[in-house]
Amino acid sequence: MKVIVNAASGFMGLFDVGAQNLIGWVSTIVPKVLLLLILMNTIIALIGQEKINKFAKVCSGNVILAYGVLPFLSAFMLGNPMALSMGKFLPERMKPSYYASAAYHCHTNSGIFPHINAGELFIYTGIASGIQTLGLNEMDLAIRYLLVGLVMNFFAGWVTDFTTKIVMKQQGIELSNELK
Amino acid sequence: MSEYRAITIRQGSGGFGGPLTVKPQEGKDVLLYITGGGAEPDILQKIVELTGCRPVNGFKTTVPEEEIFLVIIDCGGTLRCGIYPQKRIPTININPVGKSGPMAKYITEDIYVSGVTNNEIELADGSEAPIQSEAKPAGGEKEFKYSADKKVSETMGETSKSSFIQKIGMGAGKVVATFNAAAKESTNTILHTIIPFMGFVSLLIGIIQGSGFGDWFAAMLKPLCGNVIGLCILGFICSIPFLSCLLGPGAVIAQIIGTLIGVEIGKGNIEPSLALPALFAINTQCACDFIPVGLGLAEAEPETVEVGVPSVLYSRFIIGVPRVLVAFIASFGLYK
Repeated sequence: MKVIVNAASGFMGLFDVGAQNLIGWVSTIVPKVLLLLILMNTIIALIGQEKINKFAKVCSGNVILAYGVLPFLSAFMLGNPMALSMGKFLPERMKPSYYASAAYHCHTNSGIFPHINAGELFIYTGIASGIQTLGLNEMDLAIRYLLVGLVMNFFAGWVTDFTTKIVMKQQGIELSNELK
Repeated sequence: MSEYRAITIRQGSGGFGGPLTVKPQEGKDVLLYITGGGAEPDILQKIVELTGCRPVNGFKTTVPEEEIFLVIIDCGGTLRCGIYPQKRIPTININPVGKSGPMAKYITEDIYVSGVTNNEIELADGSEAPIQSEAKPAGGEKEFKYSADKKVSETMGETSKSSFIQKIGMGAGKVVATFNAAAKESTNTILHTIIPFMGFVSLLIGIIQGSGFGDWFAAMLKPLCGNVIGLCILGFICSIPFLSCLLGPGAVIAQIIGTLIGVEIGKGNIEPSLALPALFAINTQCACDFIPVGLGLAEAEPETVEVGVPSVLYSRFIIGVPRVLVAFIASFGLYK
């Protein structure tokens, strides 16, 4: 009998640990993220997508704008996955590179702007909760995440330009460099 | 009688519903607007010019429902936005409000469109038939309040123009309604995506920590995540082409590993400064499973997808480890 009781209380113990963890998250992360989400979604609705569309057309001519600035702004304004759709304003050859950069941008900025990718927030939040447990300021991490991301996501796009050239040769397909 | 033309109205930024194609008809040509305490909405003038209909201010007077072909409202999602859809009269809400309020179930895409500004209104190209609202047209002999040979603006006189105060009122109303709509949307996101995931991960953490499996796992994680070389190896593994596709979906694996690393950081087993390179290491495979869909969203040609998928996989492989290293260099001085 004692064995069964011990096993049962051990079993329930698993849920106690989990439940405490959940309560911790719900009372700290949820309110903060919710309020941030509301503000960001409002700003986005008030600015509107058309302004971003206009900006995207300007960006097609320049590599830094196309893989550095445009994906950052698109991620902020449209979030995951609609940020990826802004590649439609670029020539075919640049679309894979834009994708490579924009998909990363949907993560690296999520420390400060959780609205970008609320569904996959825990890549950041999971690690950051450890920082919180230690009583350190999480924003130090979030800002460095964003800044390193800004630089390296651009390179991720730029490198894809080269891999695209290699794959084009491999497959004998030539993608147009002209904007439609 | 002026000539009537059909227009198509699409939803605006953050809006819902539509596109609606509407056309006024003889005896059914009233554009009713019930906005901002009687102020004229911006879109009114354009609709009147395009369709040749008669605008009527719903705050000043009423018209029989049979004569209304279109309604403009500025409801923030409490009540008014459902009234006309319920009567199956095509409705424009200039605030970006979706299915909301006590009459939410009547608000459907085929009768309601919201968040509309002048940019979303254009002449119909004739490909779609205008909506026939179900209220029956009235007979032609009726005495109208407004005569057809006199402009409505003349009839209404100066009183109907939007005053300064009305403009402020409508502007504030729009901001408040937008906030309210955003709050609903955000709460939905929290309830439907974030909290369920928290529950799932909390259960995992409970099982891992409570069963003693956590210590074993920490022992395994520490050589991999406790130093920069281990993190580079982790990043390298995650970025291997085609393995990266398998690790991608929903970022579930990355999120779980991230959470476990967070737990170890909290316990002091892993240096807090390594949190930054760890963020990059666990996510080198980012969105590798999503490439065809993402390129599809960007309206890419089939050849572009064919080239783009291996191209992005290779570039992830090339850039993965350097990202971890750069993040490691950038983590100098963090939490020291």
